[in-house]
Amino acid sequence: MLRYIILSPLVGAAICWLAGRRVRSEAFIGLVASLSIAVSCALSLWLAFGTGGALVGEPRVILDHVWTWMEVGTFRADIGFAMDRLSGIYACFITFVGLLIHIFATGYMHGDKSFYRFFAYLNLFMFMMLTLVLADNLLLMFVGWEGVGLCSYLLIGYYIDRKEAGDAAKKAFVANRVGDWGVVLGIMLVFALTGSISFFDKTGIGVPVESAMAVINTMGVDAFGWRTLFAGGITSAAILLFIGATGKSAQIPLFVWLPDAMAGPTPVSALIHAATMVTAGVYMIVRCSAIYTHAPTAMFIVAIIGAATALFAATIGIAQNDIKKVLAYSTVSQLGYMMLACGVGAFVAAIFHVMTHAFFKALLFLGSGSVIHGMHHEQDMRRMGGLKKYMPITFATMLTGWLAISGIPIFAGFFSKDEILWKTWSTSATAIPSWAGKTLWIVGALTALLTAVYMTRLMVMTFWGGERFREAHAGGQADEAHAHAFDEGEKAHDAKHASAGDRPHHEPGAHVGDAHAGAVHASVVAHHDDDADEDEHNAHHHGPFTPHESPWTMTVPLVVLAILSTVGGLVGVPYALSGGTFNNYFEHTLEPVVERAPQRGGGHAEVGVGNASHATTPAASESHAQTPSHGGEGALPPSVGEGEHGGAPAAEHAHDPAEVRAERIFTGISIAIALAGLGIGWTVFRKNPLRVMPRLLENKYYVDEAYDAAVINPIKVGSREGLWKIFDVKVVDGLVNGLARATSGLGDIARRMQAGFVRGYAAIILLGALLVIGYFVFNFTRVLSHL
Amino acid sequence: MLQRSLLTILVLLPVAGAIAAVAYGMAARRGETAAKWIALGFSTATFALSLLLLTGGGYADSAAFRFEQNLPWIGAIGARYHVGVDGISLWLVILTTLLVPISIVSSWHAVEKRPLAFYAFILLLESAMIGVFVSLDLLVFYLFFEASLVPMFFLIGVWGGERRIYAAAKFFIFTAVGSLLMLVGIIALYYIHLRQAGFGTFDYTTLLASLRSSQMVLGPDAQFWLFLAFAIAFAIKVPLFPFHTWLPDAHTEAPTAGSVILAGVLLKMGTYGLMRFNLALFPDASRYFAWVMITLAVIGIIYGALVAMVQPDVKRLVAYSSVSHMGFVVLGLFSFTEQGMQGSLYQMLNHGVSTGALFLLVGMIYERRHTRLISEFGGLAKPMPWFATLFVFASLSSVGLPILNGFIGEFLIMLGMWTSPALSQTWARVATMLAATGVIWAAVYMLWMLQRVLFGRVKNEKNKRLTDLNWREMGLLLPLLALMIYMGVYPRPFLNRSRAAVELVRSRVVATEGGGVIAER
Repeated sequence: MLRYIILSPLVGAAICWLAGRRVRSEAFIGLVASLSIAVSCALSLWLAFGTGGALVGEPRVILDHVWTWMEVGTFRADIGFAMDRLSGIYACFITFVGLLIHIFATGYMHGDKSFYRFFAYLNLFMFMMLTLVLADNLLLMFVGWEGVGLCSYLLIGYYIDRKEAGDAAKKAFVANRVGDWGVVLGIMLVFALTGSISFFDKTGIGVPVESAMAVINTMGVDAFGWRTLFAGGITSAAILLFIGATGKSAQIPLFVWLPDAMAGPTPVSALIHAATMVTAGVYMIVRCSAIYTHAPTAMFIVAIIGAATALFAATIGIAQNDIKKVLAYSTVSQLGYMMLACGVGAFVAAIFHVMTHAFFKALLFLGSGSVIHGMHHEQDMRRMGGLKKYMPITFATMLTGWLAISGIPIFAGFFSKDEILWKTWSTSATAIPSWAGKTLWIVGALTALLTAVYMTRLMVMTFWGGERFREAHAGGQADEAHAHAFDEGEKAHDAKHASAGDRPHHEPGAHVGDAHAGAVHASVVAHHDDDADEDEHNAHHHGPFTPHESPWTMTVPLVVLAILSTVGGLVGVPYALSGGTFNNYFEHTLEPVVERAPQRGGGHAEVGVGNASHATTPAASESHAQTPSHGGEGALPPSVGEGEHGGAPAAEHAHDPAEVRAERIFTGISIAIALAGLGIGWTVFRKNPLRVMPRLLENKYYVDEAYDAAVINPIKVGSREGLWKIFDVKVVDGLVNGLARATSGLGDIARRMQAGFVRGYAAIILLGALLVIGYFVFNFTRVLSHL
Repeated sequence: MLQRSLLTILVLLPVAGAIAAVAYGMAARRGETAAKWIALGFSTATFALSLLLLTGGGYADSAAFRFEQNLPWIGAIGARYHVGVDGISLWLVILTTLLVPISIVSSWHAVEKRPLAFYAFILLLESAMIGVFVSLDLLVFYLFFEASLVPMFFLIGVWGGERRIYAAAKFFIFTAVGSLLMLVGIIALYYIHLRQAGFGTFDYTTLLASLRSSQMVLGPDAQFWLFLAFAIAFAIKVPLFPFHTWLPDAHTEAPTAGSVILAGVLLKMGTYGLMRFNLALFPDASRYFAWVMITLAVIGIIYGALVAMVQPDVKRLVAYSSVSHMGFVVLGLFSFTEQGMQGSLYQMLNHGVSTGALFLLVGMIYERRHTRLISEFGGLAKPMPWFATLFVFASLSSVGLPILNGFIGEFLIMLGMWTSPALSQTWARVATMLAATGVIWAAVYMLWMLQRVLFGRVKNEKNKRLTDLNWREMGLLLPLLALMIYMGVYPRPFLNRSRAAVELVRSRVVATEGGGVIAER
């Protein structure tokens, strides 16, 4: 059954590609594409929540073995799928959000010349993403992993005649490939350590495959220390896999591709670069939680990278002017949160945030898409303003997304982010020393503040204030040159350069420094004309216009996502905030399928704990209850959520009142931070939306430039000038030619060969014969003498 | 009857085709067009017949040679005409017979100069290549190995590009020098066998049997020198870094058909030889030299990729990418693991299919524009959407995208190296990690090239009116594309059939002098 979830989008892609090319009916293509996802979605929901579903009742795994992909020696990889609670949740939200985005895209892409190509790629992406999530082994997961990278490449570069799109696409693929290097090696190391690459034990369905994760669970936990990184043990595997995650999930140091990926159409940004693909790294870590819980050093690194990325990206996001760039950096930042959660052992919280983030970030991206659509493909927020009057539905829905990401209570983002922050503070995982937990919390809290600020800035610049899109087209405004330069896809220029006397130059000689406003305008207009036929996606030749609300195909998905962003977090209300009446449903559901990190104070699942996610028998679900996890030390109680696992009666006792009180206090702090962020954002940007931002931030800390100078250019130049022109041409060929000339006048023969082939050929044979005899006499006696 | 002589028929059929094409072409009016059809007919028939090899059956379980024919040839020195296939050569023969008709059709309109000779040379080349893969007598092997040089020399030298003479001479000198060393080795083997077992032989199976039964024992020094003599010949053919410099020139100057066959089949003669002779006959030396071969292979992988990245000429780029890919093949062979060696064999096939397709595509664009400089192109996706689609497809296969063929080979090779007993664990892993960077570089040079050739705006006026692929061209590429998918999704029919034969070779090399097996992790 599972295979049909995956097959449906593939069929959709094939129909769109083959038939869509001929039919060219947008209605037909849109319908086929959306329907294929609808089928997947219905199947996923049924398999997850129907009778005997993966998400209801006892924890169980639904397996679907298709065929054995390769079997060489002891290595075996299957084409086989599996749905447990983790992949069930993933499949459901991927297909659901995917469906909404497909519907949205039918409106957004209306009139595009290669409508069919877009939807074929989009469906192919869904196929790959579902393969990634539902794969029952690491290698098939890697197929999806690379496949989504490919689709991302194709979709970022969708506007093939735009150079920046092509550059961004390539950058994305290469950055991901750097990460994939780690994944491939990680998979091989897992195989070397366990003899398997499967996530699940498949003997239950008659396939002789055992779970690699179960084998890992029988091993001891690696020591904490830098040496383990290179020891070739579990920690090394965890780090190698994490390198892949930094690529796919845009973490330091490989995050640079994601902001550029915004060159793709906006539905792509929403689907791939916010809701689904970029969270694959988080998925993989949680899927391999057995590996990470046995590698405290790796968890520590994951937490640090996550927190650092969260803060770093948030500071950049605050200074961007392109609406999609703000959201892109915001995504990087939120992914950092998810990694932080993984690092401190709060795997469930990470997945919870993945899900709520999928709702509200897809909403925000689609909302921005609606804005861009209504603004005739304008993306610069400095040329927006006052849009709430023109786009009421978009405004209202984005409002919920804004409140959700900022962490205002009852909205979805609040619960998940609060959970992560609380788990970070209260973590007792051995991987995270106490001081580190507190430090990471401070970084996380600071990021939360910045998140609220930059999102408020985005909302204010877009929906409130003066209608700057009118000013922009009125002519003679100093701001225009700047905005225009920005739109030309050049490096962002500092806003303070936007005065007429000191403007950025986007074309050599196009501007004169002391030109007065009129001349400026002229040159800008002239530039427009040059561009007009070059770039159909450029907004500048539209002339003055009134923004409009988007069609229903776009607003309906917005409304649905807005509802989810509002109430979607309620599935994960923690015990402490429920008034002590019920446990965290989301956590309760996922707890059985993730591993529990070893805790300070001695209690951890070191040996022999069969993990429910890796067993097909329901009995395994109780295994956690047998874990000597609490160690009986009152002074170091496990954190609230982690005490509940297994659903054993003991769960109720896990809610230590002191702990609950502390969690409530921290929730209060979270709310205060979010409100402060909104307040700061509002006061700072409401009056002056075009406020000048620090140059370092606006230019993204010059990371791209640094990479170019330190890595990319040296490799290029070294390869061309050093390896090729010197080594190949001068050294090897020179040596050969020199040798030839020196020994027997080969060069002479080669020259004569131009006169006649036969003679040359004969000469070479003769020479060869001489060589043979010479060698023979010289060496053969030696060979024989050694017999 | 067929069981006995199928291989001989396969070897001789192309020769017959060559004779028929030339004879008819000279005799009849408009015979040159007919010659094309005759060549195509004979090569297609060869392909069809070669598929009968699959009926040999039991390849999965037995490494024995099938379709054997063993006739006395030169009685005085005990040389015999002995041919046969096992799971290793089976696929290489089929790859050869598949690529030849494709390359004939690819030259359909491209070759106007002396077409009779052109097609005759291609068919003769096919004969020689099949001969190389099926001969079980070292002398016969050597003759076919050398015989393959001559038609290729002329294909490059006569129908090549501007610097064809230089390229042809370079190709010939590099490879001929190498194979002379091998001849010395072959003769030495003959004498050693004569001395120890009482009779001289060139027969591979006899030599192997004598080695196994210790009727003939090769001491460390003998193995050392013999390994070198064979390995240098094959390393040049592969080509293994640093013997690779003939390859870019030969590829760039060769006509499309020549490049397809050169990359698709000729290079595999080197890796095939390493597997068949070096590993099986000189196992101790193979282990001794493993670190050298692995080092050179890893350097080749990275070096080929880096130099490919900066090439201004598409064809040179693909040629250097071959250096990188063939590095993987050698790496797998010297990992001495089942995954690595099976992956190697599989990668030989993959490289034939993917790189063959890439050279075809480059040829198609060359026929239209008469240039291969990347800077001359840009935005070809607009006037040539099908060309762009297929080009992207073949490139992704070459880059090793999972679910396409290239990935299976590369992954198995890396997995084999990772667990290889050939080096200490640390060095095996370091080698794997370095080799795995090849995956990154491949993405860089291929995608960068695609971007500059296919995407962006059409800047060059000449590119605006280019016509997309016609049915003949599509027909050439689609079978290869189908193979890329099939081999990537369901490699078992291939891997299963080659298992027993590869394992036999491996069992020779992992068995130590004392008869034990070197520790396998």
